[in-house]
Amino acid sequence: MGRERESERYSRQILVPGWNQEKLKRATALIVGLGGLGSASALYLAGAGIGRLRLCDCDKVERSDLNRQVLYEESSIGSFKVEEAGRRLAALNPLVELEKLNVFLDSHTVGELVKGCQVILDGLDNLESRFILNQESFKKRIPYIYGAVHGWLGYAGFFHPPQTGCLACLMQPGLSQPEPVPVFGTVPGMIGLVQATEAIKWIQGIAPSLLGRLLIYDGLHLTFDLVNVDKNPACPLCSKK
Amino acid sequence: MVIYLKAGGELRAKLQPDVDDCTRRVETEAGVSLRDILAGIGINPAFVAFALKGGDVKRLDYVPAEGDVITLQPPVSGG
Ligand SMILES: [Zn+2]
Repeated sequence: MGRERESERYSRQILVPGWNQEKLKRATALIVGLGGLGSASALYLAGAGIGRLRLCDCDKVERSDLNRQVLYEESSIGSFKVEEAGRRLAALNPLVELEKLNVFLDSHTVGELVKGCQVILDGLDNLESRFILNQESFKKRIPYIYGAVHGWLGYAGFFHPPQTGCLACLMQPGLSQPEPVPVFGTVPGMIGLVQATEAIKWIQGIAPSLLGRLLIYDGLHLTFDLVNVDKNPACPLCSKK
Repeated sequence: MVIYLKAGGELRAKLQPDVDDCTRRVETEAGVSLRDILAGIGINPAFVAFALKGGDVKRLDYVPAEGDVITLQPPVSGG
């Protein structure tokens, strides 16, 4: 695609005060989990023209995903999510470089997954994997944009120790996690877009509003609470001497 | 001393509010952690990820003061 078409594609967003398309173009974002959260954040980061999106998921699309995972359609059922997501995102914006990693996140694979990226977006569906990602983000000093949903409720946060606390400062392992999680599309959509917004700000050098804070979104009562998350002096990860 | 508990999301159903639709009045000794207070009123701390007080996150080791209004937040793990 020529330079002129590229300029035309982004002509409306470069009018936004503080916007820096070049910084966005040079950036790599990792999205771990291409479910309801990851669908929303991937589509909008691709649309905005991020340089490279590293997509990680090892699941196949199921019919029960389609109420919320807007990257996929009926014909995607049975195919790997990374392949279907790659197809959709390439069709949306061929300027974005896509890395499709059909990889299960664990303590052995996480190091390679995060290597070279500027920001990590959490699209995961369980707390254990989130703690692994949180730990690696701390180790590599790459900011971790947390997102999670349940029913009408969604959380989003931006963790970047030592400037902020980390996920392990906020909550401990061993919490109750009902299966399957009740969920419908707009809640992960809302939280995924907040994550993408914060990623775009970070990449462009604009201070993320969630730095050291947590957004609590309650769709049932339509409340948005922004609360401070301090560092836990007893955090087993980021306060370890 | 007395504190007031509220809850977010599906934790509301476990809280058994008695002051109004969403608030429970709890009498407790001073110097007791939120974790122990919850255990004392039959709420399993595994159902509480963290708590909120006046715009700040509080962990379950927080020791409430007289009259505190504390909102319990459930773990949220879906994506
Ligand atoms: Zn920490």
